Amino acid sequence: MVMRPVPWQTGEICGPESAKSLSKADVLKRDLKLCKKLLLIVGSEAATEKYGKGDMIDYAIALSKAGNMDVIATGGAIKAFVEKGFDRAKSMGAMEVAFRLQDPEWVGPFGKGPYDMIMIYGMPYYMQWTLLSAVMNFGTHITAISISRFFQPHAKWSVPNMKEKQYNALLEDILGLVGGGK
Amino acid sequence: MKKKAYFKADEADTGLGKFKGLEVHIGTIVDDEWDEPMGPTPMPNPTDLRAWDHKLLNRYHPSYMPYCQVCCLCTFGKCDLSGDKRGACGIDIKAQQARIVLAAANIGCAAHLAHARHLVDHLIEEFGPRTELIQGPGTEIHAPVSRLVTGMRPRTLEDAAIIVSYCETQLAHTLSATHTGQEGSWLDFESKVLHAGMVDQVGMEIADLVQISTMGFPKADPEAPLVQSGIGMMDTNKAIILTIGHNIVPAASITDYITEKKVGNKVEVGGMCCTAWDITRRDPSAKVVGPISWQLRYIRSGKADVIVVDEQCIQVNVVNEAKKVKAPVISTSDKAVMGLPDRSDDPIDSIVEELVSGKIDGAFIHDHHKVGEVATKVALAIMPKRRKMKFFPSKKQIQKMAEECKKCSECIRACPNDQPVMEAVLAAQLGNFEPLREVYQNCIGCARCESACPNDYDLHSWMVVAAQADCKDETHMVRTGRGAIQDIEIRNVGQPIVFGEIPGVIAHVGCANYPQGGKDVHDMCEEFAKRRYIIVTSGCAAISAGHVKDENGQSIYERRSGEFDAGGVLNVGSCVSNPHIAGAAIKIAAIFAKRNLRGNYAEIADYIHNRVGAVGISWGAMSQKAASIASGFWRLGVPVIVGPHGSKYRRMLLGKAEEERAWTVYDARTGDRVVVAPGPEHLFYAAETVAEANVLTAKLVIRPNDTGKGRSIKLSHYIDIHEKYYGYFPDDVWKYIRRDTDIPITLKDKIHTQMKENKWKEGRIIDPTLLKEQVMGGGK
Repeated sequence: MVMRPVPWQTGEICGPESAKSLSKADVLKRDLKLCKKLLLIVGSEAATEKYGKGDMIDYAIALSKAGNMDVIATGGAIKAFVEKGFDRAKSMGAMEVAFRLQDPEWVGPFGKGPYDMIMIYGMPYYMQWTLLSAVMNFGTHITAISISRFFQPHAKWSVPNMKEKQYNALLEDILGLVGGGK
Repeated sequence: MKKKAYFKADEADTGLGKFKGLEVHIGTIVDDEWDEPMGPTPMPNPTDLRAWDHKLLNRYHPSYMPYCQVCCLCTFGKCDLSGDKRGACGIDIKAQQARIVLAAANIGCAAHLAHARHLVDHLIEEFGPRTELIQGPGTEIHAPVSRLVTGMRPRTLEDAAIIVSYCETQLAHTLSATHTGQEGSWLDFESKVLHAGMVDQVGMEIADLVQISTMGFPKADPEAPLVQSGIGMMDTNKAIILTIGHNIVPAASITDYITEKKVGNKVEVGGMCCTAWDITRRDPSAKVVGPISWQLRYIRSGKADVIVVDEQCIQVNVVNEAKKVKAPVISTSDKAVMGLPDRSDDPIDSIVEELVSGKIDGAFIHDHHKVGEVATKVALAIMPKRRKMKFFPSKKQIQKMAEECKKCSECIRACPNDQPVMEAVLAAQLGNFEPLREVYQNCIGCARCESACPNDYDLHSWMVVAAQADCKDETHMVRTGRGAIQDIEIRNVGQPIVFGEIPGVIAHVGCANYPQGGKDVHDMCEEFAKRRYIIVTSGCAAISAGHVKDENGQSIYERRSGEFDAGGVLNVGSCVSNPHIAGAAIKIAAIFAKRNLRGNYAEIADYIHNRVGAVGISWGAMSQKAASIASGFWRLGVPVIVGPHGSKYRRMLLGKAEEERAWTVYDARTGDRVVVAPGPEHLFYAAETVAEANVLTAKLVIRPNDTGKGRSIKLSHYIDIHEKYYGYFPDDVWKYIRRDTDIPITLKDKIHTQMKENKWKEGRIIDPTLLKEQVMGGGK
C-alpha cells in the first residue's frame, strides 16, 4: 500500500486515482527513459517565484536547454521569456493547452510534437489542478509531471508539498537528471 | 398568436374591484396590433434549436476538466468513471461532466426564474395584471430577448406571467434531463445547457422589465444617477439597515417607509450585491456598500444595525455572524429563510420588541409590507446602544493572540487565492500589520482561513482591522443601473461600429471571486474604454469597476459617459439586467439588417455571432447564476471570458484556429462555402491573468463580417495590446488579413513579411452565415 500526499489546497481532493510523490528526482528515471518528446509548460507565477538568485523563468530556460524541451508559456509568462532573450518558448493559454493535450496527434505550436510527456509549474494552484485533470482523464497518452512546489493530485508524478529549501534541491536534481540524458 | 395563460393572486386590488383568491385562466391571447411575421421557433422546446446548438458545438469543442472521476448522484454509486469506465446507469465521464455543467446552468436559471416569478406575482397583486410594461423612451424594440425567444412582446404584467410560465416549463425539462437514466450524450447535455441559458435570459429580462416598469427605476437612462458607494460612505451617525441579495421588494418597502415617515435624516439603507443596485435605482439616496465578497467584513464591523436578506448570493451563516455583533436579521424570501421563526402574521410592535430586546436573533417576515416598518423601527431603537459597542479586536489584542499561532499553514491551504495569511499573522506578532492589510486587498471574504485555523482566529476580522484606513477611504461615486439601451443609441453607433471607430462592445458582468482584488475589473474596463470600445457593466463587477479613483479622485463612472457610445462605461444594473446587454446585440440585427426578431432565434444568433463584435467578461465568476448567464450568451454566439477561478466550471468551449472545416461558412450572397479567419476563436475561456484576458478580448471582437477598415482597427488594437502585455508582435495577424485593406497601415511592413512567410492568399469579404437557409434563395 502506498501513502499518497495530500493536495495543497485542502478542498482540492480528487477521485480514485492520484499522483505519486516526486520527493526524489530519481523516481522519474524510468518514465524519462520511455519518453519520446517532452514539453515544458510554465505558468504566469513563474516570473515571481524565486529560484536561486533568479526566478522560475530562469529555471525553465535552464531545464529547456538541459532537456532539449519546447516551452509553452501561459497567462502572459511569455513576456518574461522574451525579455530574457529566450526564443524557444511560445505563448498559449492554460485552457488551450489543457484542450490540445487531449489530442494524441497534436504537434504543438512548434510543430515538433506530438508530446508524450509534460513537465508543468507556475500556474495558480487550482488552474494547474484543472488543467491536469483534463490531461489525466482525456489525455491518457501523456505522462504528466508536476514540478510546482505543491502537490497536484492529477499528475502521474507530483512534488509533494515541500519546504522551499528542499524544493530547490529537488529542482537541481531534476535539472541534473534531465540534462544528464536519459 | 395563441398561448394559454394562467395567473393567480391571493389578493388583487384592481380597477374592477378587490378580489381574494383570484385565479384566472385565459385560453387565447391575441396580439392583433403586431404585424411582424412569426419566425420559425416561437417558445422553443429543448430540441427546437438543437441544430443551431450543434453548429456552435461543432466549432467550439467542450474541453472537460473533471473535479473528480466519480458520480455520486444516485444509490447505484459511487461509480468510478475514470479511464473508459462507465457508471451503473451507463454514463461515461464526458457525459457526466456535461451533466454537471447542465446542473449548474439549471440551478442558475432557476434562481433568476424564481426571482422573476416572485416579482411578477407580487407586482400583479400590487398593481393588477393589466399594468403596462415600459422599458423606457427610445425603446421601440421593447423586450428584445423575449420577442426573439417567445414571439411575444410583453406589454403587460399578465404577458410577463405567460412568458415566465413558458420559462418554467422549459426549466422543468432541462432539469429533468439531469436525472439518472435520462440524457446520455454529452452533445445533447451541452445543447440543453444552451437552452437553459437562453431561458435564463428571458426570465431575467422579464424580472428587470417588470421592476423597471413599476418600481420607479431609471428607464433606459444614460444619465442614471451617480450614487454613493463604499464602506466609508455609510453614515454611522444614522441607524444603518443593510440589505443583501437580489430582490428589490423587501428593500423597497424599507426605503418607502423611510420616505413616508420622513426619517431619512436618522436612518440610511445600504445594499450589497445586486440589491444594492436595485435599491439605488429606486431611491438614489440609498447606498451601494459593496460587492458580494464584502458581506462578512461589513457585517463584522458592526456598523449595520439591522440586516435584511432577500435571495441569492447571501452569506448563509448570516444569522450567526450577525449575532456576534448583536444585529438582528430579517429574512424575507421563502428561498432563504435562514432558520428564523416565521413572524409574518404577528403584530409589528411585538416583532420589533422581540428583535430589539434580543429575545430572538431574527425573524422571517414574508409579508413585505411589514419589513420596512419592522427594520426601520428596530434599527432606530438599537442604534444608540450598538454605537457604544466595539466588535473588532484592537491591533494590540491581535498582536497578543497571534503569538499563539501554530504555524500549521492551514489558513494558506484553505485560501482560494493562496494568500500568505500565516506569514501575515506572524508579522502581526511583531506589530507589523502591513502584510495583513495586503492580504485584505486580495481577499474574497470567504473566511475559509478561519474555518481551517486550529486556534479559531477571526482572521478575516484581523485583516479588516489591519486595513481600517482603507475601509474609511472606500468612498466612491458609481452610476446606478440605467436599464435598457435605447434604439437611438444603437442607431448612432452603427456607422462607427461598422468602420471600426468603435472596435467592439465589452461587457463586464458577474460576481466578485477575483484572483487579485476588484481593481483588475476597473483596469480592464479602462484599458478598453480609452481605446473607444463601449464598456457595459452589471452586478458586482459594476461595483468593483467603480471602486477605483483616478488622480482627480473620480471613479470611472464620473469621468466617462453612461451612453452606449465610444469610450462610454454604462452600468445596466443588477444580475437580471444582463439581458439588456444581449438585447443591444439583438437590436443591432433588427435596426441595421432589418431582421425580424419575432420567434427567430437561430437567424439572429447567427447574425450576432458573425457580425457583432461583443465579448462578455466575468472576471470574478463564482455562482451557478454566472454559469447560466454565460450560457445565454453562448447560444447567441457571444464569447465569454472568465477569470482563473472560472476554470472550476470544469468545461471550456474552445475552437481550433487551424481547423478549416470549423471556420467554413456560407457566403449568403452566393452560397459558396468559404473559409474565414478563426473569429471568435473561443466561446468560453478562463484566462489565467489580466494580461491574457486583455489580449484575448482584443482578439475575440474580430468577426467574419468586419469591414476592411473595421478589421484594420481591430487588428491595430490587438497588436498593440499583445505587444504591451506579451512583449512581442503576435504571430497570427496574417490569418486575419483577407485583403490589403485589412492591414493597419503603420504596420504594413511587418504584416507583409508575416503574410509572405505563411504563404498568405487573398480572400474576400463575404456575407457570412452558418445557416444554409440564410443564403439568398434559401440555399437551394
